Amino acid sequence: MIENGLLKVLDPFRSIFRKFNIDYDMMRLILQMKLTMDARRVPTILSQSKKKEGNQFIKGLWIYGLYGLILIPFFFLGDNLMLQASLITGIAMFILGTSMISDFSSVILDVRDKIILNTKPIDSRTINAAKVMHVSIYLTLITGAFITIPAIVLLFVNGFFYFVIFIIEIILLDIFILAITSLAYILILRLFDGEKLKDMINYVQIMLAIGMVIGYQIIIRVYDVVGFELIYHFSWWHLLIPPLWFGAPFELLLNQDYSLGIILLSILAIIVPIVSIFAYYVSMPSFERNLQKLMEESKKSKKRNKNLGQLLERLLCFSKEERAFYRFASIMISRERDFKLKVYPSLGMGLIFPLIFLYNNLGYQSFEALSESKSYLTIYFCNIIIGVVVFMLQYSGKYKGAWVFYTTPIKKHSIIYSATLKAFFVKLYLPILFILSIVYVWIFSFRIIPDLIVILFSGIILMLISYKMFSVAKIPFTEPIESAQQGGGSSVKIILLMILVGIFATIHFAISTITFGIYVYLFILVIVSIVLWKIIFR
Amino acid sequence: MEDKVLSLKNLTMSYSGKNVLNGINLDVYRGQIIGYIGPNGAGKSTTLKIMLGLIDNYEGTVEILGKDISKSGYTYKERIGYVPENAEIYDNLTAAEYLTFIGELYGLDREVARKKALHLLIEFDMEHVFHSRISSFSKGMRQKVLIVSSLLHNPDVIFLDEPLSGLDANSVMIIKDMLEALANKGKTIFYSSHIMDVVEKISNRIVLLVDGEIKADGSFEELKAESQKGSLESIFNQLTGFDEHKETAEHIVSIVTEDTYD
Repeated sequence: MIENGLLKVLDPFRSIFRKFNIDYDMMRLILQMKLTMDARRVPTILSQSKKKEGNQFIKGLWIYGLYGLILIPFFFLGDNLMLQASLITGIAMFILGTSMISDFSSVILDVRDKIILNTKPIDSRTINAAKVMHVSIYLTLITGAFITIPAIVLLFVNGFFYFVIFIIEIILLDIFILAITSLAYILILRLFDGEKLKDMINYVQIMLAIGMVIGYQIIIRVYDVVGFELIYHFSWWHLLIPPLWFGAPFELLLNQDYSLGIILLSILAIIVPIVSIFAYYVSMPSFERNLQKLMEESKKSKKRNKNLGQLLERLLCFSKEERAFYRFASIMISRERDFKLKVYPSLGMGLIFPLIFLYNNLGYQSFEALSESKSYLTIYFCNIIIGVVVFMLQYSGKYKGAWVFYTTPIKKHSIIYSATLKAFFVKLYLPILFILSIVYVWIFSFRIIPDLIVILFSGIILMLISYKMFSVAKIPFTEPIESAQQGGGSSVKIILLMILVGIFATIHFAISTITFGIYVYLFILVIVSIVLWKIIFR
Repeated sequence: MEDKVLSLKNLTMSYSGKNVLNGINLDVYRGQIIGYIGPNGAGKSTTLKIMLGLIDNYEGTVEILGKDISKSGYTYKERIGYVPENAEIYDNLTAAEYLTFIGELYGLDREVARKKALHLLIEFDMEHVFHSRISSFSKGMRQKVLIVSSLLHNPDVIFLDEPLSGLDANSVMIIKDMLEALANKGKTIFYSSHIMDVVEKISNRIVLLVDGEIKADGSFEELKAESQKGSLESIFNQLTGFDEHKETAEHIVSIVTEDTYD
């Protein structure tokens, strides 16, 4: 078994764990159990899908190998070492960081086994260490899959010394990501209570995800274009941008650039990961203690003004049964913690990506020119989240409650999914599109309203296609959320969907050059959505 | 017989402003079987969770086996066994794997834990499922696995939260006799349940908790003499101030059968 091999790699570090007051044997034991269980994730008894054994996560690793290929062109990019290195570490940070936030937050914040583990004579530090190592193992595997090919290319293109620095940097980067994410959770666990805490966790996730995107975007902007050369000038605020820290050591060691700025940045690249992991170590016991807060039930639930919600519900759902499922799905979407942990970071991305690409366009044209242009098509980037979220709709942390769907006399089971998709569209997708629309209409004036409606309907079509492609489960929220750690197959589908979004955007672009073409296109899209909906939920 | 095993002094606990436990004082001695009863939401599970170190922002002191658990660290748990209320269990492990794992968590040797687990399961007629996954077990079988997992390390104090749920009548008899025999060996048993006639039969001391306070504490005979009722059930009703069960039941039936709700 791969699991045992992974643990053997840890054994030589036994004495280090001991030094940090961690009971190594106990930790290894817990880890071994967790890895065994990961390998046994099987679809639920209720779902009719075929049984899949083995660690789905490890089977899905190759997708990160594919992501790794993105890095390779950058090795050949110009001769500005600092730019090259900070872009590479920036991308690495983005990919590893987002996977950490959306895939592993639930492991770090897991409270389900508290009753089993914390009632046994084990130090809470050891339990937490097992958790961290559990995540670290996967993060290491992802990193390995991600950098193996680039690292080999690097070794041949840029030489051994560059290669060694790269490897060390990536390790520091992983430590940094792991520690920063956990520290962010520790902080909010300490500051907040009850329902507020649960909301805050999602906000922090969204912020972290957005931070990753923005941080990576800023890198390119710290360079001045002088002629055809990009020149790096240090200024103090660069100290706040992690990818630059990790870019600096290359400049320092390979270009022998001993300027103060580069030295400072390089020091940060080493010091911050170490300090943050140490800070995490110190606050571990309080972390486990405060996790208890997540198990507490909060008594109050506020009654909201539901007029608009009720109106939409009546407009969208045609039967009493469908309305009931719509309400149920809305509540699950907005309240089920594990689901939110996985989905909300993507929502943040859906909101920020269009704006970033729009902002990029400002780089080479004036605001006036921009508002006249077709750059509003960047809003299509928010449609990318549709595939990811529709995929996640099958999963839930509370999947065991799904027996009610089988024991109650439901006429048409497909109606549950149609109602859930409607709830997703109204509760998660529309708010994002709405916020973006306000910004876009402000920039591009009201002339883009028909285009926005076109985008909305292409979103509906995309949602239906995603549903058809992903629906392993017949009923939403019935698969255990642990099995949702993106397996390879679904990643391919998500990439296909992204390409589909691109196709939609291209068609839209082509149509928009024809006078009144957009209205014809809109009409076609409306018809297609209705027909598709009818066919799928017959 | 007079060794104090467990001592709660002025134990208070509140969740977001609301008091769940209101100053509980309780001393438990070696060999006692405590039936810890009370209405839903009285604070029984909270008390158990505090004693097991799952909750630590309580006020007052909790001493187990002579040590204050807020100071002594986690080691006191080595001598405690625990059967949780809603069967939390890693059910994608086999019974063998799960029980060996739990045994090891309590510091047993792997092989010792495995053998002991097997021998205990044989007694429960479950040897044929030793290598099956717990997810395929019935509720009663899971409950037996949980009970076995709490006993592997030969604990001195055993906390049981609704241990009989899902068990058939024969198994209930085994567990009842087993608890008695364990108490005779000097083990202390802290038992929380809603099934009054079982509590009545096996406990040699009954503690009734209402709204986070101890309303009654004594043997069944003492409680009976005090309240002049015949069964623990009626004593329970009396002490929790509940005498409307007939009326409530009738209301429920009338609501269920009412036609005017359409």
